[in-house]
Amino acid sequence: MADPRVTGAARYAEDVQLPGMLHARIVRSPYAHARVLSVDASAAGEDVVVLAPDDVRGLRRYGCQIKDQAVLALDRARFAGDPVAAVAAATPQLARAAADLVEVAYEELEAIFDPVEAAEPDAPLVHDTAAISDNDAAYFDLRPQSGTNICHRFRIRHGDPETGFDEADVIVDETFQTAGAQHVHMEPHAALARWEDGRLELWTGTQTPFNLREDLAGIFGIAPEEIRIHCPPMGGAFGAKTFVRIEAIVAALARKANRPVRCVLERSEEWLTLNRHPAVIRVKVGARADGTLVAKRVWCWADTGGYADCGPGVAQKMGFAAPGPYRIPHVWVDSRAVYTNLAPNGAFRGYGQMQCVWSSELAMDLLAERLGLDALEFRLRNVLREGDRYCTGEEMHDVHFADCLEAAARGIGWHDDARGKGLAVVMKGMQTPSRAGIAIERDGDRFVVRCATAEMGQGARRAISLLAADLLGVDVARVRFPDPDTHLVPYDTRTTSSRSTYVMGLALERAVGDLREHGERGYGEIEIPGGLDPDTGQGVASHHWHQAAAGAEVRVDEETGKVEVVRLHAAVYAGRVVNRAGAELQNEGSMIMGLGTALLERIDHADGHITNANLSDYEIPSFADVPPLTHDLLEREGGEIHGLGETALPPVPAAVGNAVASLGLRVRELPISAEAVLAAVDEREGVRA
Amino acid sequence: MKVSCTVNGDAVELEATPDEALLDVLRRQLDLRSVRPTCGIGVCGACTALVDGEPVSTCLLLAPLAEGREITTVEGLGGDHPLQRAFVESRAFQCGYCTPGMILSAKRLLEENPSPSAHEIADFLSGNLCRCGCYLKIVDAVTRAAA
Repeated sequence: MADPRVTGAARYAEDVQLPGMLHARIVRSPYAHARVLSVDASAAGEDVVVLAPDDVRGLRRYGCQIKDQAVLALDRARFAGDPVAAVAAATPQLARAAADLVEVAYEELEAIFDPVEAAEPDAPLVHDTAAISDNDAAYFDLRPQSGTNICHRFRIRHGDPETGFDEADVIVDETFQTAGAQHVHMEPHAALARWEDGRLELWTGTQTPFNLREDLAGIFGIAPEEIRIHCPPMGGAFGAKTFVRIEAIVAALARKANRPVRCVLERSEEWLTLNRHPAVIRVKVGARADGTLVAKRVWCWADTGGYADCGPGVAQKMGFAAPGPYRIPHVWVDSRAVYTNLAPNGAFRGYGQMQCVWSSELAMDLLAERLGLDALEFRLRNVLREGDRYCTGEEMHDVHFADCLEAAARGIGWHDDARGKGLAVVMKGMQTPSRAGIAIERDGDRFVVRCATAEMGQGARRAISLLAADLLGVDVARVRFPDPDTHLVPYDTRTTSSRSTYVMGLALERAVGDLREHGERGYGEIEIPGGLDPDTGQGVASHHWHQAAAGAEVRVDEETGKVEVVRLHAAVYAGRVVNRAGAELQNEGSMIMGLGTALLERIDHADGHITNANLSDYEIPSFADVPPLTHDLLEREGGEIHGLGETALPPVPAAVGNAVASLGLRVRELPISAEAVLAAVDEREGVRA
Repeated sequence: MKVSCTVNGDAVELEATPDEALLDVLRRQLDLRSVRPTCGIGVCGACTALVDGEPVSTCLLLAPLAEGREITTVEGLGGDHPLQRAFVESRAFQCGYCTPGMILSAKRLLEENPSPSAHEIADFLSGNLCRCGCYLKIVDAVTRAAA
């Protein structure tokens, strides 16, 4: 049987239909910050079901980490695009026409768009309070700073940097920036909801079925078991299909309409739904003349937009990876998730790591240059090795940063001539703590896997099926892995952070053992402990670390500012490879997405309005943008499985940035624009003159 | 209004309003789900169908303009077309959302140029976007199908 993805038989959430279903359209605030005075839907027509603020005032607030969101903006719209009403009609065209007839009166309020300004004590507040969520996505201690826009503060306190900087012969102190970006999963967000006897049934592309179920149960005041979520495969997600996106609005509309309601977002609405955190990161790092690192301080401002979503988690992971995989005796980090009046920012492939790698790895090259050291040698002198303790206090095991760096350097011919070339290394945490359950059922001479891991193109279903077949000693064709359905699959934390193949693999070993013992059904569960104190950053940040390095070679046209990547190589520690073709695809896809981040992708704003919310003005890499691109999967006999969904992305922009910097062109902001390159040419020539 | 055309070899009569895109009509009336709404402005290629053999963004083609034309979607290739086999053998997809459009554009390329170079493949397919970033393996698949 041919793969449904090549025959046209594949079905995604947007393809699911129910008889009598209505089509939804969201009415959005045109202001970045405004009081919502009134919503008048009297012109929308009798055949249209309208969801207005008064319909949802009695429902509870939600949020995966901070409960700061209502189903509709009740009294205040907090970004341009914030849903203030929604309509459902017989066709998408009728719904669109009806939405245009909903009259909303606003009173514009002062808005704030810069995360550094927004973190100041006198900034206008986006939210008055920050209630910590009871969703288990709020898995760490949150530290909202009362009376400010900081919805989480994370710190590392290891040693005393001031003492350390006193020992330094050279100190670099620079501030870097990264732009907001859109996931541009090809399949838009789509959800279909139906109520029956007070129970909610939902079809939606989601990476987080159990977190979603928990938040919806809270909103509607029903038990989680009264909600059934079906998860068709996704046409790409990259972090965007996490937690509650459009599901609460669709479910509230369906309840009011007493009919099934479906919503499929228009492309432009994706930029209003979830993006990647823009960040400002200041790095101060010092070394002795012999190239030994002595101290580092990092300050991160992660702009989480009008609602926190998982921004606190992003700021924490950005913070705990910001020191980089180096031995540094004195490290302090201060990372904050900050509300602004931009569209919400949340999970995005790389989860805060790209931003801190960009900043820290550019600072490393600056330091190497001032010390007169080769950037590779400088890194290898300081890199974490087996058994070292990271600044969180955790002992590092299965450590391969040096191998990754050396492989990346080889891949771009670093040793022949390092000019026009750059390197960068990443340490990426995996969701810690977390829990995963999986069941195997016998079905004649076949086996059915019951597993909440969502398929979004990353190949998880294939990898887990291969692992199951291997453990069961049968051909993979005899293993069936149906779409996750929360009524049928055991609990799992979520399909994020490149954790699923590893943790489900461990749970599977137990499930297959249990099946052997009990015959018809086997269940296995794995619980991964750990976590950090948010005030000191001490504890276990990651059960194991994803490790990679990238090398880039560039050509820069100093007349036009155009940067051309002529060679790109990544080396990723894979431990044990389960599905080779899938592993290669994940590396290649991550690298190509990283190139988009490096050179193309930036969400532009004017007064808080996104001005490039379409695929013509917002460019993602096409065939024409892919340079000669190679990669290594570093394997180790008996090694743990390392998820590969993200690791090759974060080091790519920094490798490109360092390659540009090797030509004397200092660019501090992503993406690397022609304007910034031309300014860097002027800066370099100015210094010489 | 009624639009008479051929879809995947069958003569059909489509019911469409004058302002409706062929994309929506193919999906709604014929349940051809392989033409996929994505960018809505003809730049991503996920809604590609062959119209008289040429790859066309059906999100931009008004349905009435399909009158008398021959339309092919990936469902019309049957499942055992050399390109479909090559995409599977080369593992040239991840989420699969853009794959039908890729295959149809590649079909036209191979009719024009039966043994394209990697550069020619990339150039011809640059109007089809793949966010999963399967580009290297897609070039490999098209090369394999051409062999």
